[in-house]
Amino acid sequence: MGEQQAAIVERRPPIQRIGKALMLMLIFIWCLFPFFWLISTSLKLGNEALNSPDLFHGPFGLQNYKSVIEQDFGFNLRNSAIIAGTTTVFCIAIGALAAYALARLPIKRKILVLAGVLAVSLFPPVALVPPMYEVWRTLGLLNTYPGLYIPYTAFTLPLTIFILSTFFASIPKDLEEAARIDGATAFQAFWKVILPLAAPGVFAAAIITFVAAWNEFLLASTFAPRDKAVQTVTVAIAAFTGSVQFERPIGTITAACVIVTIPMIILTLIFQRRIVAGLTTGGVKG
Amino acid sequence: MTGGFSGNRRKRLLNVAVVALLVAAACTGSTPDGGDDGGEGGGELVWAIGGAEAAPGGVHRTVAEMWNEENPDTPIRIEVLPDAADEQRQQQSLELNAQGDLFDVLGVDVIWTGEYSTNGWLESLEDIRADIEQVSIPGAFESGTWGGELWAAPYNSNAGFLYYRTDLVDEPPTTWEELSQVGIQIGEEEGIAPFVGQGAKYEGFVVNWLEYYWSAGGELYNEDSSQVLFDDDIAVQATEFMRESLEGGFYAPGFNTMMEEEARNEFQSGNAVFMRNWPYAYALMNDEAESKVAGKFDIAPLPTFSGTGTISALGGFNNAVSAFSSNKEAAKQFVLWASTDPEVQQTLATEASLPPTMASVYEELSDDPVMALLGQVLPDAKPRPPAPQWNDISVTIQEEIFPAYNGDAEAAGAVSEVHNFLNSTIE
Amino acid sequence: MASEAARAPRVEGRRSLSNAALAKLFLTPSVAWMALVALFPVLYAFVLSLYLYQGRLSEGFGGLENYTEAITDDRFWSAVIATLVFTVTSVAAEFMIGLGFALIMRQAFRGRGVTRAAILVPWVIPTVISAQMWFFMFNVTPGFWNDVLGIGDFNWLGQPNWAMFAIVFTDVWKTAPFVALLLLAGLQTIPEDIYESARVDGATAWQRFWNLTLPLLRPAILVALLFRTVDALRVFDLPQVMTQGAFGTETLSMLVQRFVVQTPNPGTGAAFSTLTFILVLGVGVIFVRFLGREFVESTAGG
Repeated sequence: MGEQQAAIVERRPPIQRIGKALMLMLIFIWCLFPFFWLISTSLKLGNEALNSPDLFHGPFGLQNYKSVIEQDFGFNLRNSAIIAGTTTVFCIAIGALAAYALARLPIKRKILVLAGVLAVSLFPPVALVPPMYEVWRTLGLLNTYPGLYIPYTAFTLPLTIFILSTFFASIPKDLEEAARIDGATAFQAFWKVILPLAAPGVFAAAIITFVAAWNEFLLASTFAPRDKAVQTVTVAIAAFTGSVQFERPIGTITAACVIVTIPMIILTLIFQRRIVAGLTTGGVKG
Repeated sequence: MTGGFSGNRRKRLLNVAVVALLVAAACTGSTPDGGDDGGEGGGELVWAIGGAEAAPGGVHRTVAEMWNEENPDTPIRIEVLPDAADEQRQQQSLELNAQGDLFDVLGVDVIWTGEYSTNGWLESLEDIRADIEQVSIPGAFESGTWGGELWAAPYNSNAGFLYYRTDLVDEPPTTWEELSQVGIQIGEEEGIAPFVGQGAKYEGFVVNWLEYYWSAGGELYNEDSSQVLFDDDIAVQATEFMRESLEGGFYAPGFNTMMEEEARNEFQSGNAVFMRNWPYAYALMNDEAESKVAGKFDIAPLPTFSGTGTISALGGFNNAVSAFSSNKEAAKQFVLWASTDPEVQQTLATEASLPPTMASVYEELSDDPVMALLGQVLPDAKPRPPAPQWNDISVTIQEEIFPAYNGDAEAAGAVSEVHNFLNSTIE
Repeated sequence: MASEAARAPRVEGRRSLSNAALAKLFLTPSVAWMALVALFPVLYAFVLSLYLYQGRLSEGFGGLENYTEAITDDRFWSAVIATLVFTVTSVAAEFMIGLGFALIMRQAFRGRGVTRAAILVPWVIPTVISAQMWFFMFNVTPGFWNDVLGIGDFNWLGQPNWAMFAIVFTDVWKTAPFVALLLLAGLQTIPEDIYESARVDGATAWQRFWNLTLPLLRPAILVALLFRTVDALRVFDLPQVMTQGAFGTETLSMLVQRFVVQTPNPGTGAAFSTLTFILVLGVGVIFVRFLGREFVESTAGG
């Protein structure tokens, strides 16, 4: 696919190429401009610069980053990574099974099951807090990793299942049949045939789950508000204080945000190729 | 086909390995033994208080250290709550509602006293009342009482100031109408906004509105909160003043989305003639390196509608003892000490510019302009009624009067809704 | 066809489960996990909503009184309207921009990796930060957008309609990448040769898009629309941080938060939560019926 597209690109007239370049530039500005604002603000020092609308109003320095690191932000990064990672693993693992069942296997009243799966994640999150807090407290799950990744998995499973089911359903059945006839069990057919072909969907679901868990705030601030051993990055950022009452520490907040976003960008850079990996490995064309 | 699959197999093995690592890390990660039990037994007290001063280097830490020196067998440890008062209340509420013993001493906002005590979350402080009442500013003391009982010991206070530009105004006017005229006139000459304050839809707006309402002679309840004394006409006057100010240009553009920091930033950048704000802004705006108005402003009591006296809203924090604490006696001693020890109260002022609640400290510190003005203003500062339904009342005022001053609703109707609601709180 | 596959292993003499039993086995972990964690708060809220409260103190059984009071409350209907306006405009805009992004992200050109990462940046920034950032930029003081656009003192957040615009704009900026991601993954399942034969047949780019891409993308589109809609119906952080619900931007979740956290009344809060839940579930079920048909068609006897 890549070569064909590249060949076509070469044949396009210059006006189209300029138009395309302009569009790309527009996209970059639209998406990245606020991020640039974040970086610029995080590098500013002193009250006046921070609150000035002028992006290039100095003085500049790395003070805010130092201050963020001094607040043991590294622990928060580790906590968020572990919690989001575990959530993703569990979601994909058990979600893929359920998705396969929904896409391929006979289930009575399938629509009912789908609606039930969806319903779980629909309750207004803020109303979940009081009952969950009491139960978590009784079970000793406050300020623990499981206390967070268990509910995260539960609430992200619906999205994962829906994404993966649509992917599994779109894979032609003959491939699976062929594998079965060759002697594979249902599980092997799933593992060796379906899963690789649904790779784009799996990676999309994985990224979505990871980011959702990483950015979650409400439950994290309820179940692990202050303990540095479990506190996530979003809660830590919200807890930054200025030097006096009422003062909003925009400098440290934006610095922490930049620190938090950069690993995510790296992650997406690595995985974006997976999401757009074509169907080349022994797939449809064969 | 096999070629592709072995490639996949390698990848899959890698994925499985990563997964296994993650799961192992998650399960064995350095999580503490479920639930924090540092405060049980051993006489350690936990102080749940938030904000900038509770963070490392803040004055609350200094106070805690002072206590620990004199009381080594009942040391106190700060559990740092978030910066915003609403978040602090939420975290305290979750724990107290579950009747947990995680916290011993609670840093409570002056407006939470009635709510917390009615919910059965606080230990009565009647037995240590006498000493505290003797040394505290009356308004601050009142803010810790409900139903005639003392539930929270005053710790630090707050009152609203009028900030004005000394290079543009010699003497700040003493009535709101005059302030409006002077402000608009100078604002036009200088090309800046006449006035900034807190006009967004939140508690700060209610504070600003109450300051107008009270300074026009209005009241909410009588002394023992058994009767509603709300005056509709005065309330309409206050609301109409705000509406005219917004439409007529006395208020800066964007006044209706401003909170404390937005107002301070505007004044600090030299974009306003007058400002209503808390004392915290004084030190920040006098910083030569940061502020465009350093040395060019001063503070004064807020004006009234009548021209005599001054009224400002009382803010601040009190210390209360949790009803579920396992160490109530020590906790009570701590809150008593924090309220009545002159050294503690002075440290609050000198180290952090937090207005103390101990009256005598103001005489000591009358050199400091902020403290001097506070000493002048605090006796007349009115607390918002620390009724259990204060949050309800505040939200009702926000919902009714905010649209009215923005011109989206009739003032008379809005005001009578507030009156009806106040009536319903007494039944 | 399915029965053939089911028969194959048995013919080989391998012990295996019937497909129906297998389905149950595969579904159980998910269903159990979700039920255990997410079901009890919903039931708890429903039970709670049947009791009357004065503040936090219980006043006894109230039956459906909390509900009748909620439904006759003007604020409830204002919140419904605000929520619907927000949802329809933001989801529509996100869908169109997201589809555009997805089509671009799928193409092969130099720098596509960086472009794809750039497109995802708005979405990976935590919501509370985005909200504060856009609040700062929209607010008339210090007036960032006003300076850039040269429009003086326009009070974006302080007037009706424009306040809603600011929130919708922020949400679209933030979430279009999420839609793009889902649609992009969906685009990947469309085999290239279909386009090839269409091109050979002389179909234009637009015809290829309209007659091939869109229909084949239907499942992914439905999933994206479904989850964006149910999320938009429960939006809380954006209006809370940017406008505090003023000027017609108070959404249903804000109303719930008011009665669960701000002025706690467990009965009223639970009633509003349940009403919101029913509304969102209703919308979700409509989507699911469309989606379900896709799945039902793909399994014989399903």
